[in-house]
Amino acid sequence: MDARMDDLDKRLLDIIQSDFPLEARPYAVVGERLGISEDEALARVRALKQSGVIRRIGGNFQSRKLGFHSTLCAARVPEDKLDAFVAEVNRHPGVTHNYLRRHPYNVWFTFIGPSRQEVDDTLAAMRRATGIDILNLPASRMYKIKVDFKMANNASNEEED
Amino acid sequence: MAKREFTARERAILGMVQGNLPDTATPFADIAAACGATEDEVLSLLRELKASGAIRRFGATLRHQKAGYGHNAMVAWYVEEDRVDEVGELFAARPEISHCYVRSNCLDWPFNVYTMIHGQDPEACGRTVAELAALTGLDEYDILQSVKELKKTSMKYF
Repeated sequence: MDARMDDLDKRLLDIIQSDFPLEARPYAVVGERLGISEDEALARVRALKQSGVIRRIGGNFQSRKLGFHSTLCAARVPEDKLDAFVAEVNRHPGVTHNYLRRHPYNVWFTFIGPSRQEVDDTLAAMRRATGIDILNLPASRMYKIKVDFKMANNASNEEED
Repeated sequence: MAKREFTARERAILGMVQGNLPDTATPFADIAAACGATEDEVLSLLRELKASGAIRRFGATLRHQKAGYGHNAMVAWYVEEDRVDEVGELFAARPEISHCYVRSNCLDWPFNVYTMIHGQDPEACGRTVAELAALTGLDEYDILQSVKELKKTSMKYF
């Protein structure tokens, strides 16, 4: 937890993470809920952006409802091919998250594209370009995707896509 | 699923909203001005998409390392089909888990239920996994601790 955050900041984050007001003066609404002025609410949000706690404020879309197809991919990449493989994968804008993990399948990335066909075609092109096979693991059911993590009682927060 | 088609102006609005809101007291009026729309059009579009679920969440996204939870472990579980619902719901209720998906298995990779588990460090994630294994009786799973973040961005849909 960032030491410079006080309780008011945490309550502010709880509100603007999950319930950012879709109103003409959103910071006035937030301020009213916290008992502070619009100016102070906006100043605190700016300070939290400045210190890097807030990455962005905006909409998080559900890819499927926009007609997009998403999948999770994994590959076993030898150490000496890692940099080239990661460079090839990461250059695609639909690759939104990519992690190196401690496992024989060591590279795990999420990939979103405008259709299932385009996703499959791009993965085939990545296989050809790198000579490395890639597991394609699209979700068939979803039980949870990031609900809002409370800051005020010191639990976690996660980015999601 | 019926796909919502967007006008050019709506796409311009959503293109701004998928990034960062203008850093002002009146962000929606500023988006409207930039896109040749009215503030009401912007607000009603966003409210509509939030209500339909196309906008899953509207608000601040934090850098979780800065919020004190820098580690994650993806755990892939093998769950018999007739237990998937029970296990999925149990996993979904856990605060340490941000994502829980069922995925088809593939090649030599036998697992079908995936959880993203968060904690302060690998040990904290490992303790959560052990607890979940004991609770569910599942014994076929694989823990994939994060070593390094290679990329993290938001998808540009518009």
